Amino acid sequence: MDQIETGSGSVLREYGSEQNLLSKPDGSATFLQGDTSVLAGVYGPAEVKVNKEIYDRATLEVVVQPKVGMSSVRERAREQCVRETCEAVLLSTLHPRSSLTLILQVVHDDGSLLSCCLNAACMALMDAGLPMGRLFCGVTCAIDSDSQIITDPTAQQERESRALMTFAIDSKERNVLMSSTKGSFSVKELQQCIALSQKASEKIFQFYRDSVKRRYSKIL
Amino acid sequence: MCFIRTAEPLEYHRSFLKENCRPDGRELGEFRPTTLNIGSIGTADGSAMVKIGNTTVICGIKAELSAPPSDAPDKGYIVPNVDLPPLCSSRFRPGPPGEQAQAASQFIADVIDGSKIIKKEDLCIEKSKLCWVLYCDIMCLDYDGNVLDACIITLLAALKNTQIPKVTINKETDLAEVDIEHKRHLQINKHPVSSSFAVFDDTVLIVDPTAEEESLATSVITAVVDEDDQLCAFHKPGGSSLSAEKLQDCITRSVTRHREVGKLIDKVLESTKASK
Amino acid sequence: MEAVYSCFREKLGQVILPGDVFCFDVSAVEGSAVRAERVICGPGLRRNGDEILVYKSGILRHKAPNLYWIDSQQKRYVPVKGESVIGIVTAKSGDIFKVDVGGSEQASLSYLAFEGATKRNRPNVQVGDLVYAQFTIANKDMEPELVCIDSCGRANGMGVFGADGLLFKVSLGLVRRLLAPQSEIVKDLEKIFPFEMVVGLNGRVWVKAKTVQQTLIVANLLESCENMTTQQRQVLFRRVAEGSL
Repeated sequence: MDQIETGSGSVLREYGSEQNLLSKPDGSATFLQGDTSVLAGVYGPAEVKVNKEIYDRATLEVVVQPKVGMSSVRERAREQCVRETCEAVLLSTLHPRSSLTLILQVVHDDGSLLSCCLNAACMALMDAGLPMGRLFCGVTCAIDSDSQIITDPTAQQERESRALMTFAIDSKERNVLMSSTKGSFSVKELQQCIALSQKASEKIFQFYRDSVKRRYSKIL
Repeated sequence: MCFIRTAEPLEYHRSFLKENCRPDGRELGEFRPTTLNIGSIGTADGSAMVKIGNTTVICGIKAELSAPPSDAPDKGYIVPNVDLPPLCSSRFRPGPPGEQAQAASQFIADVIDGSKIIKKEDLCIEKSKLCWVLYCDIMCLDYDGNVLDACIITLLAALKNTQIPKVTINKETDLAEVDIEHKRHLQINKHPVSSSFAVFDDTVLIVDPTAEEESLATSVITAVVDEDDQLCAFHKPGGSSLSAEKLQDCITRSVTRHREVGKLIDKVLESTKASK
Repeated sequence: MEAVYSCFREKLGQVILPGDVFCFDVSAVEGSAVRAERVICGPGLRRNGDEILVYKSGILRHKAPNLYWIDSQQKRYVPVKGESVIGIVTAKSGDIFKVDVGGSEQASLSYLAFEGATKRNRPNVQVGDLVYAQFTIANKDMEPELVCIDSCGRANGMGVFGADGLLFKVSLGLVRRLLAPQSEIVKDLEKIFPFEMVVGLNGRVWVKAKTVQQTLIVANLLESCENMTTQQRQVLFRRVAEGSL
């Protein structure tokens, strides 16, 4: 399996992405991180129900569909993380009283699911042409029992880790937009993980740029 | 320049923040007065109620017997559930739990797992046959911001108050025999305490936001620290970006808050013991 | 003389992503002393003080003397004043028709906004009809409004149409290519067989040819043009022209 070396020790799995693959949604994208794969579809700006409309901004709804079974409390927590991250970057004041719906379907989960969802969401929002102030990407770090930090862990590595953190990093200042952690860790470890995630985000943003270039290559 | 609170809430709050204080008279880094009441629900195995300013949250713990999960036969389990009923605020409608309640339940479950507040092996009575299940029902009675902090404090206090009876398995009949006379407290290993912050306009960091401040803030952060200064959770569900200094600031304040809350819980537990 | 800003020059014709910023260094401008205020931002670009922010992903295009915009591929239409679109009448309520243009809300079309319409002489518009109309009001704060007359009161090609024919949806990039002054796609299509076509900037296209089969062929060809390069398209059209003759 090809891995992207980012120099300072953080290694990412092989990434893949494709945009505009579904015909009905206004924007769609799929994102692959190793074996983890998420498909995202965006509808909007569309009509909104009167009880949900906000007078000066667009209403964003996120639905995360697991691969098997009904969605549970875990999916709701993921939806909240993705939704608040997207709301921070979207210029929703340009489309008041309309609705934006983002649907994420988990195709396969082999670790780093929340960061794969974030990456797929960002690519789908770009594909739909929704106005965004900046881009964001998701990076997951796991701390194993020897206090080694692994970026972009597989499901096996996640199970064996003592702490798992996912960060959403923005493209302008490389600051942390969203943080979701499990397990206990020290402050120093948190700061190390954030620094590693920021370095890894450079590679991911370059990957976004290359993917979008490929998509527009037919009309260039 | 006088701003009307209902007409321009953001400008109203900004005019206070410029003077480094808040509309209710607090400093930017000051928590609201916290009061704790333990053992108020007689029918529960453990209970606690906490008030942080106006936010009131109550937790009741019921211990039941069940078979252990098949993937962990020597461990019991804890099931937290956070309920934000329409009683506590007009923003919650009757019906199934909304996203905020479900996300809070997931957050509490992650904190319980991550901080190892109770060793799940202690809850096992007989491997693969019988274990304790602790149902923690956390209900908000009055929502004035900062519900996650209150939920963690009340959960910790209720768990310290919980007493579960001794259970032995009769070898002949293979049934469980519960001895109500002899009860024991749960073994609490770690004491996680959470602190919530709100960020205004991407620059100002305030501690313990009220409901109004939460709705106007650009971002909300919750940090959970235990007594060894280890972080059990650093929850920031989106919003404006956070720089490294602010992050460090949040964590330092959380550590201070941990000491205060720890002392409060110990004091209240001692006074309940003394009154018995 | 074209004075293209140096910070734009290297990115012209390249893909740029949201969050990219162009800041203006006045000393770096060559040629005529054009200041930053003279830059006109088209779709995809926003001014923020001294900087120009990008909020859509796409290719940066330029038109002399100082118009810049992002050419992006989108499917969802957002109403813009002055654009001509194909709408479907969904309701008649009082004095106005409610028209679906594919945006986030339905547009309203007054019954007096047709050529020769008066309070006594109402236009013959039924629910389900297709109308080709222009936006007079289209901003984010108000309900969009359409009219079927131009500023002189003449229809000028607008109004109800589409007794037969087929309406289908394509992407916004394709309709812009179809409406370009010397559109190659339209020229190549005309050579195959004659047909009537109405193109709305909201991504809706209506075609009608002599027979139903020909109509379907034209519709399918237009839908497939989206993802093909020029050569592939010409090969396909040639094959169809030979096949149908």
